[in-house]
Amino acid sequence: MLQIVIQGRGGQGAQTAGNLLATAFFAEGREVQSFASYGGARRGTPVSSFIRVDDRPIRLRCDIEQADAILCFDASLLEGRLLEIARPDTLIVVNSSRTPEQYAEQMPGYRVIPVDGISISRRHGLGRIVNSALLGAFARAIEAPKLGVLTRALGERAPKLRDENIAACEEGYRWMEVQLQRVAA
Amino acid sequence: MNANGAMPSQEKPVLLTGNHAVAWAARLARPKVVPLYPITPQTPILEKLTEFQAEGEFDAEVITPESEHSVMAACIPASLAGARVFTATASQGLLLMHELLHYASGARAPIVMANVNRTLASPWAFWPDETDSLSQRDTGWIQYYVESAQESLDTVIQAFRVAERELLPVMVNLDAFYVSHALEPVRVPTPELVDAFLPPYTPPHRLDTAKVESWGNVVTPDMYYRHRRALGEAMDEVYSAALEADDEWGELTGRRYGLVERYRCEGARSVIVTMGSMCGTARDAVDAMRDAGLMIGLLKVRLFRPLPVQALRAALAGVADVLVLDRNYSPGHGGVLHQELRAALYGMADAPRIHGYLAGVGGVNVSPGKIAEFARMLSANEPQPDSVWVR
Repeated sequence: MLQIVIQGRGGQGAQTAGNLLATAFFAEGREVQSFASYGGARRGTPVSSFIRVDDRPIRLRCDIEQADAILCFDASLLEGRLLEIARPDTLIVVNSSRTPEQYAEQMPGYRVIPVDGISISRRHGLGRIVNSALLGAFARAIEAPKLGVLTRALGERAPKLRDENIAACEEGYRWMEVQLQRVAA
Repeated sequence: MNANGAMPSQEKPVLLTGNHAVAWAARLARPKVVPLYPITPQTPILEKLTEFQAEGEFDAEVITPESEHSVMAACIPASLAGARVFTATASQGLLLMHELLHYASGARAPIVMANVNRTLASPWAFWPDETDSLSQRDTGWIQYYVESAQESLDTVIQAFRVAERELLPVMVNLDAFYVSHALEPVRVPTPELVDAFLPPYTPPHRLDTAKVESWGNVVTPDMYYRHRRALGEAMDEVYSAALEADDEWGELTGRRYGLVERYRCEGARSVIVTMGSMCGTARDAVDAMRDAGLMIGLLKVRLFRPLPVQALRAALAGVADVLVLDRNYSPGHGGVLHQELRAALYGMADAPRIHGYLAGVGGVNVSPGKIAEFARMLSANEPQPDSVWVR
């Protein structure tokens, strides 16, 4: 079972991103479960979105205590409570303009790969709405779901700026590809 | 996800949350009157139903009164007038209905209501906790507790059959977030299938200006006594009505749940007993413990009112230790399911030892690992008369 946590703040779209990711995995024929827990969904408060993906029906009804991968929408949330669910091999993708080297130095023992979601989103006229860019980057980092399946799920949800969101998702995907090569080098 | 109102087929699963699965069940049941008041985490049920209505797919009178008390005040006369009635609420909203919950069962109004189990104030919170509906256990409502979005949908539809056969209201309870907000694959039955299962509601008596009858008159002690006994007799019939509805639904869809469900209880020395979403997590815990050689099983209590005492006694005969996990708290007497189970098994020959654990109260996370840890505590500890706080 693949267990993913998306951490964001109310209004950033972490819950939507979780549902989109689950929808894409489901479209690939996987069993999925996606739910969010939040303290009343107030704008700005931390929101956790939990996604489980498996090849058989998912029965667990509890929070994810050990994540295989984490997508963090806000670098200020990359601390205590969120890091408790990360193992040394947990892949953490964080929305940040800092470099992988800076994270390696700042957070030894964690696999953190930053992606500059804000820059990507702005280039596509999405302002601070980063979830499509981050989802693209995250899908590349965990090597699933396929980009085409993810952008189709995104398109079917018909956001107002449909083409812009798809483009941001694709650029996030490519951005991560370059970032991973840099990390490997 | 099926964002628009297009009808998914029975065969192909679609992604729905527990709340939206409830809304689909309500749509398929074709209620005539649906009074609603929004409250977290029930609101998506209301939103989806009004969306269906706006699309012309839901031909019900949707009423939005000023409070949950008024919602129930609207449900009762609509039901007595012979209309099929659905509503949904949660937590504080359910408590605000309290007075009229008693009234609804006394008036024999077969209303079906979904309740999303959420903590009660004070302090204010939004987590899964079943104290809201369990504190309504004496109101004369049939109560189901479900585990998944699919079971939410199936049970709401079954509930109408049971309610209308016995003329009793039914509450279908689903846990906040773990069920209400969990997006997962759900098979939505076709309207034709549901219509065949659930014919239009035609009560033997109804409020009708052309044929004068009345409800709720001032009565003598003797009349009141007889009325209460009749209510009890209807409750006694619920077991067979619920089993019949479940069996027939099982034949049509391949999905049946029982009043209680024994999961891997063959030869079990210990059995975990719980309700709602925690059953799913307990299944994984039981599988892991069985793999490790422990003789343990799970008994899921799906129908809580009326309490299937005979089924519980049969399912737990020969078991050494019972571990009750309560995601609720009755201050002064511990976990409600713990109390109920001790009463249900009292006097049974070779009754199991019953250990009551307050686990997950207030939405505290209960993982499969935690459940295994609780199970390991069993053999080491004598059962206590009071429920024990664990986390």
